[in-house]
Amino acid sequence: MRVDPNYNSVLAASLNSVQDTEEQLTSELSSGVSVSSLSDNPAAVGENVILLNTIQQDDTFTQSSSLVTGQLQVADSTLGSVVTQLTQAISLATSANNGTMNSSDVKSISTQLSGILDEVQSLANTSYQGQYIFAGAQSSTAPFSTSSSTSPAVTTYNGDSNINYLVTPGGDKIQLNVPGSSLFTGSGTNNVFSALNSLIADYSSGTVDTTQAVTDTEALGTALNYVSQQRVVIDDSINQITSASDSATSNETQLTATQTNLMQADVATISTRLSLAETQQSALESVIAQLGSASNSLFSKLPS
Amino acid sequence: MGTINSALSLMTQALDSDQAALNVTSNNVANASTTGYTEETPTWQENSSVVISGISYGQGATMTGATSQRDTVLQERLNQQQQLASASSTRLTALDSVQAVFTPSSGTSTTTGDIGTDLTSFFSSFSSLESSPTSNSLREKVLSSASTLASDVSSAASSLESQRSALDQEASGVVSQVNALTTSIAQLNQQIQATGTSTDNSLEDQRQNDLAKLSTLVGVNQVSTGNDGMQITTTSGQLLVSGDSSYQLTTGMSGGVTHIYSGTTDITSGLASGGGQLGGYLTARDTDIPNTLSSLDQLAYSVSTQVNTLNNAGTDQAGDTSNAGDIFSAPTQVSGSALSMSVVMTDPDHIAAASSTAGTGDNSNAIAMAALASQTIVSGQTPTNYYSDFVSTLGSTVSNVETENTAQTASVTQLQTQVDSISAVNLNDEASSLTTMERSYQAAAQVFSTLNTLMAQAINIGTETTVS
Repeated sequence: MRVDPNYNSVLAASLNSVQDTEEQLTSELSSGVSVSSLSDNPAAVGENVILLNTIQQDDTFTQSSSLVTGQLQVADSTLGSVVTQLTQAISLATSANNGTMNSSDVKSISTQLSGILDEVQSLANTSYQGQYIFAGAQSSTAPFSTSSSTSPAVTTYNGDSNINYLVTPGGDKIQLNVPGSSLFTGSGTNNVFSALNSLIADYSSGTVDTTQAVTDTEALGTALNYVSQQRVVIDDSINQITSASDSATSNETQLTATQTNLMQADVATISTRLSLAETQQSALESVIAQLGSASNSLFSKLPS
Repeated sequence: MGTINSALSLMTQALDSDQAALNVTSNNVANASTTGYTEETPTWQENSSVVISGISYGQGATMTGATSQRDTVLQERLNQQQQLASASSTRLTALDSVQAVFTPSSGTSTTTGDIGTDLTSFFSSFSSLESSPTSNSLREKVLSSASTLASDVSSAASSLESQRSALDQEASGVVSQVNALTTSIAQLNQQIQATGTSTDNSLEDQRQNDLAKLSTLVGVNQVSTGNDGMQITTTSGQLLVSGDSSYQLTTGMSGGVTHIYSGTTDITSGLASGGGQLGGYLTARDTDIPNTLSSLDQLAYSVSTQVNTLNNAGTDQAGDTSNAGDIFSAPTQVSGSALSMSVVMTDPDHIAAASSTAGTGDNSNAIAMAALASQTIVSGQTPTNYYSDFVSTLGSTVSNVETENTAQTASVTQLQTQVDSISAVNLNDEASSLTTMERSYQAAAQVFSTLNTLMAQAINIGTETTVS
């Protein structure tokens, strides 16, 4: 039987291949990444793209959440102040309506109510990071202004009824703002400014038309309730965002673990394989040294 | 009648033949490491016997020459397998460079240049803009992530283009090597035919060696013709060598790449599927890289077009409605979109976050642009899924070629072992034949010496003096 006399070159090729494996395993160990090129694991790299995408979307949402939560909290506390102011206005009006006050006291009430009107208008014109939060999409200009050329004075809304939303990674929309028109200048008796302006006019002369004043006071009460109702929308949004952000964070944590498992090197497995490859290498080296030595050639046995 | 004289001459011939055989062994040992050398064995032939008076006398043996130990069928199988293996190995090397352009991202923030991450960052920047549509810093972030995406896509495309032109040059280089080899084979054909049938083993060794080299370069078929001639065609049938004529391949530019011609026939596509390095280069150049590029083009085209369309449909920070302008340079056609992808918008105020019917504080157009990330805008897939499929497909292609190459290389090794077991110089065999020939020579010399003594005795018959 004839044999391939060049078996050493085959052994050398095996040795190269073992060394190549060792190099690859060592690099996986040192980088901690098991998939360093697309062909290492085509399915994993595809999944990796999608996982990283979702992780980053969650991350972006979490960051956006903290930004909008700040704005919503400002809106909420502003509305809280509005409610306080309006409650005070109602108690002032109620005391004026009970008929026990003299003319100058009534006028004083009117002045105090004017102060409250200014305060409420200033609250309604609250801005957050340079943007008016109750102006709808017209957030670059103050939404409310009052003209005193008529009696009662007229407070005008210059914003619009636009509502912005934040879309969660799951595709849900969370309301980010309540336009001033819904809060303060609603239709009918839901108009805070109209009620306040009417009351100021009612008391400005010092004599009270009790019937009218009571009607207007009731209107302010209705408007206050309406503001409180709308404030609930903002509270709801804050809750929704907190819970969506929590869920995004926990989702991100889970996905990061999955992604790590997918792409990262398993140290135990790699170490075992490396040790196996090293054993194989030293075995191959012994075989090559043994077979390659001159004493294995028949020539060495010939008489010299 | 057999005489001592004839026996002496028989031994002289034996000594000559043994010397010739020792020469063959020495030549084998000397060429043990010569590439393309085929082990030779001495051929012995029994001389015709002579019949004298009805008695047949053997006339010894002659060493008629050395025969190369080759199996041309096995050699041809090795060559064929070599063509496949070197095609896949060349293609694999090219594909490795291609996939290196798309190194997978291992984490969320560390990898730069990963188009998948860029896509996500870009669409996420619109999600961020939802939270504060008038924020200048968030608008800047949209533009900067758009720039990163565009420049990474464009530099990937440019890298692929330059790889393609490098492959093109390699392919041209291979063509000139092929021409040199076919010229050499044609000359060897002529010499072999001139010197007669198989008298000069070294010429055949050279021819086989050239053929083996040719097989690493290009896919060929060989047909042995009469009188030791050889005809070589490409696997698609174009004649390269016929007898003492070689037919040169020529190159010419067509469609921006080198095409290869036999005469006036464009045989590029036939060579691409034919095998050899040339097949590998051409497959990578004409199939793998164009496929990869066209996927990138599709991605760049769809993203640029869709984002531009939406931006132009909204209201920008300056209050411009339906006239905000393009974010990306508008591609006119899919082909070339990746290479030319760039951001043309310089003023972040021109990002139309608001819808066309709303004030500048609105964010519904930003929502719409962020939503593109989850819409099937690229060949019926979302941008991220498209890119995910793209890298998986590319990875699978590389992995398949890798597997194919491993199998083919193993097969080549196996065939090479078989060929070597027949044709390579086995030094143990040579040591053994050296000893045999040495003993044979010693024996012949001894017989000669004995015969010489006998002859002297015959001459000295009847005399007392001795002849020395």
